[in-house]
Amino acid sequence: MDQQVDVVVVGGGSTGCGVVRDLARRGLDAVLVEKGNLTHGTTGRMHGLLHSGGRYAVSDQKSARECIEENRVLRDIAGHCVEETGGLFVKRPEDSEEYFQEKLEGCRACDIPVEVIDGEEARRREPYLARDVEKAIALPDGAVDPFRLCVANAADAREHGARIETHAPVTDVLVEGGEVVGVEVEHETGPGERVHREPGTTEEIRARHVVNATGAWAGNLGEMAGVDVEVRPSKGVMTVMNTRQVDTVINRCRPKGDADIIVPHETACILGTTDEEVDDPEDYPEEEWEVDLMIETLSELVPALKDARTLRSFWGVRPLYEPPGTGTEDPTDITRDYFLLDHGDRDDLPGMTTIVGGKLTTYRMMAESISDHVCDALGHDATCDTADAPLPGSESEARMAELMDEFGLRSPVARRSGQRLGSRADDVLDDCDPNPVICQCEGVTRAEVRDAIGEAGSDLNAVRLRTRASMGNCQGGFCTHRIAAELAQEYPEPVVRDAEDELYQERWKGQRHALWGRQLSQAMLNHLLHATTMNRDGDPANLDSEVDFGAFDAGADSEPAGPNEGGNAGTATADGGTDGDR
Amino acid sequence: MTRHTDDGDGDAEGGNGPDGERGDGPAADTDRSTPAPGVPEAGRDEQPSIFVPDDGEVSDETPPERPATDGGVESATGGSDSADLDPDAYDPVDVFPGGDLDLREGADSCYKCTSCDTSCPVAEVDEEFPGPKFQGPEQWRLKRKGDHDIDESITSCSNCMRCDDACPSSVPLSQMHNEARGQFVESQMEKLSREYVRNRILSNYRFFASIASKVPRLANAATKIPGAMKLGEKVLGIAGDREFPDFATQTFREWWKDRGGAQVTDPDKRVAYFHGCYSNYNTPEVGKAMVRVYEHFGYEVMVPPQKCSGTPMFANGMLKDARRHAETNVENLVEAIGEGADVIASCTSCSLSLRQEYPELFDIHGIEDVSEHTYEALEYLRINEDLEGELAGTELADEQAFAYHAPCHARNQGLSRQAVETFRDVDGVTMEDVGDSCSGISGTYGWKAEKYETSMEIGEEMFEHMEDAKGDVGMTECPTCAMQMEHGTGYEVEHPLQLLEDAVGA
Repeated sequence: MDQQVDVVVVGGGSTGCGVVRDLARRGLDAVLVEKGNLTHGTTGRMHGLLHSGGRYAVSDQKSARECIEENRVLRDIAGHCVEETGGLFVKRPEDSEEYFQEKLEGCRACDIPVEVIDGEEARRREPYLARDVEKAIALPDGAVDPFRLCVANAADAREHGARIETHAPVTDVLVEGGEVVGVEVEHETGPGERVHREPGTTEEIRARHVVNATGAWAGNLGEMAGVDVEVRPSKGVMTVMNTRQVDTVINRCRPKGDADIIVPHETACILGTTDEEVDDPEDYPEEEWEVDLMIETLSELVPALKDARTLRSFWGVRPLYEPPGTGTEDPTDITRDYFLLDHGDRDDLPGMTTIVGGKLTTYRMMAESISDHVCDALGHDATCDTADAPLPGSESEARMAELMDEFGLRSPVARRSGQRLGSRADDVLDDCDPNPVICQCEGVTRAEVRDAIGEAGSDLNAVRLRTRASMGNCQGGFCTHRIAAELAQEYPEPVVRDAEDELYQERWKGQRHALWGRQLSQAMLNHLLHATTMNRDGDPANLDSEVDFGAFDAGADSEPAGPNEGGNAGTATADGGTDGDR
Repeated sequence: MTRHTDDGDGDAEGGNGPDGERGDGPAADTDRSTPAPGVPEAGRDEQPSIFVPDDGEVSDETPPERPATDGGVESATGGSDSADLDPDAYDPVDVFPGGDLDLREGADSCYKCTSCDTSCPVAEVDEEFPGPKFQGPEQWRLKRKGDHDIDESITSCSNCMRCDDACPSSVPLSQMHNEARGQFVESQMEKLSREYVRNRILSNYRFFASIASKVPRLANAATKIPGAMKLGEKVLGIAGDREFPDFATQTFREWWKDRGGAQVTDPDKRVAYFHGCYSNYNTPEVGKAMVRVYEHFGYEVMVPPQKCSGTPMFANGMLKDARRHAETNVENLVEAIGEGADVIASCTSCSLSLRQEYPELFDIHGIEDVSEHTYEALEYLRINEDLEGELAGTELADEQAFAYHAPCHARNQGLSRQAVETFRDVDGVTMEDVGDSCSGISGTYGWKAEKYETSMEIGEEMFEHMEDAKGDVGMTECPTCAMQMEHGTGYEVEHPLQLLEDAVGA
């Protein structure tokens, strides 16, 4: 089943989702294809910082200006994805005063509203800050949920006629007559024959234009089309803490370096990060020293981190790009700016445009500029409205009091549901009664899980990203089976079992980097519950071989007991313990 | 020598302290053996006198800026200045401004194992109650700065604190509950509501008891006027089916004053008795038994000025009231500790409060010393005296069988078996443990009309076991458990100290 559309966007990260939304709103027939879940690549592996621009105010003022501009836009159109935490650039005694002043002036030059506060005031705002923090610059950094943001963009695109296809890796870029005319994708069945669309088939999607928004993977897609795209993938580690030690984004005020930011994200804090070039965005070492470095270095800013519980760590790959010939050695020096590569001009291969570089905060601006370019190429005349039209869920604020009363939710659960669902809260919670809490750590109810299943199908990791279910301190130990049970309403048993295993494995993946202290105890408890209580390590339903029922005995009554066994069967003491003096 | 003997209930003392007694301080010091580590020296902990408002005024005379709980930001007794602390050693929980403790980090210890929920007596009978795991680590972890609302279900927690005991991972559950409840009451409870007024009255039992004790016969008669309790239920929401406890015609402190205070003096063997409100106003025989038993063992008993331990206030989220009372208690107990005394309580909730809740919720100068030096009365004797030897071979004049209930708060201090073990070798005493269920009253909890049914349902197991037990006299360390035992079975209930008094012939 081949189809002809206006544009195929490859890559379901923030850029791709932003582009497909923009194009759809401009009236073009667009398809988004993504090889995994939405946010599967880099977007889902970032620390969730909504930049104020402060980080780039000295080194890269163009990016800084774009950041503050888009920061304001996102607060406006994506309120339910953004938490207005505010941010601090804090200076320790050993940090340069000169740089502090440079940072301050840089922020002012870029129109970033700043306020200088002394150490005492900084600790009043964030009591866990180290005693010797001398002063800080306060600015409007924030936290953004990249999953929710991408899902909302995709949902809006779909409302405007776009098709969103996940688990559909591109297997070829179609080139005919020296021109890109579309892509071939494979619809993955997944290990559990999970049904999303036309499982196991390939599909040619013919399009008038192809947008390569695959970020760190842009080179791979370029190769399929026969062009060189020199992305320089650079990995960074992020460590997730169990609770929020700070409610404000804390940046270290020094030129550059590893482990210099703490972002409060939902119920957790995310520590970041490192910056190290890698060869392959899919295969690079995840090293223990990187995690240790995060905790040790950031403890200088927030000493409590040293003894606090770590849930997991994950690595992301930045899609850094620099024009050929720039020759920067250190990846931290590569610009964070984005580049639009028109392969018609550049490589004499019309029909495809690649976008690389950039950052999540400016995703919408990037999407706007590439959509302008595509519309130009297609001769389509339409204006962009993505800076003004709120995303689904952000049309209005959720009304907490009503959620509590109408839907009988406990206040923290109502609060979190409202924050996640935004203006969709009423609709989602409306027809689910009873509505028990499925994930207790994050306060996710059955209604929200079912809503996400309705949107994402049987992929429980996609359900997780939409709801945060299983992202709390038990890391799914107490809820993967409950979430899977919700799936069992609609999907056959093998699908449910595989989906459950996938979610549990994904949770384990990140916990491997937090196996000490309290998370080690948690992991052990989870393992015992799942392996022994639920028998998931030897469940006959999951074993290849037949169960040998003959190996079981036939019960107590059928065989005479041996001389030394079973003699007192049935005579267990029934003493209720009323004799207190034992 | 009479120490700390004052008139009535000691309210007038405030922070003045028995100045006259201080004169012998240095001399006494030389007599005394070197204080044990951690024992504050006399003088070191002397604090400037503070004005402690009379606890009688239930109006809002407290300065509004005073935090309900804190950690060094403000302390009326001069508290430690947290700015002086070693940056590497300080505990961030101790420095939160504005008075509220931020307990999100307490969630780090929770593995969600649910042992707390399965041990919660309220959750067992009340399906609507989400349980301690939700009230504690879950609710706190889901908080963000600026989230001030606390779920109303916190008011259904009875503060029995069994969850603390059940948790295998030292999650500060009751601390989280106390703090959440305090915040709920402070910012979400309508101050003119019947519930608030009722809870304020219940938690300030001491104030009302002190008035009733002035005219005990009248007060006792009043509560027995037909319909009086029903009226209480209608007007205030106080459980009408309960019998109001009688007020003693002579309070413990009046008795203490009349007998001329301590009959034994020994600077090397001193205890400061924290009698609590109930032993003072309602069951002075328990206090008298404590004094006689301790004097029998050669202790010099001090009875410092004191107010409510705070237990009913914590349970009702009245943390400001509790703090005010704590300031008086800590000041006077620190002084007694400085004079070589350990603090002894005959009520297991009082001792738990001084030991655990005080340092968890307040930062008052010396509060850690008080916590470290506080013991339950029987526990202290079992540690320091050869009680076993003393009791071996003793015989009770009349044989007596007891149905013993270990209060939840005793359980939390590891004392649930002490009464049974202590009297094991006394001839004529049969002591039967009626099991590990909660009595259900939890102080003021079972006195609330809307909680009465829950309270009785929780108590059902204990009532049954009491009736199955051989004895027809109840025994427990906790005065409100005693009320519940009596209410559910009609048994007379005694305190182990009373039996000990009989056994040692004190």
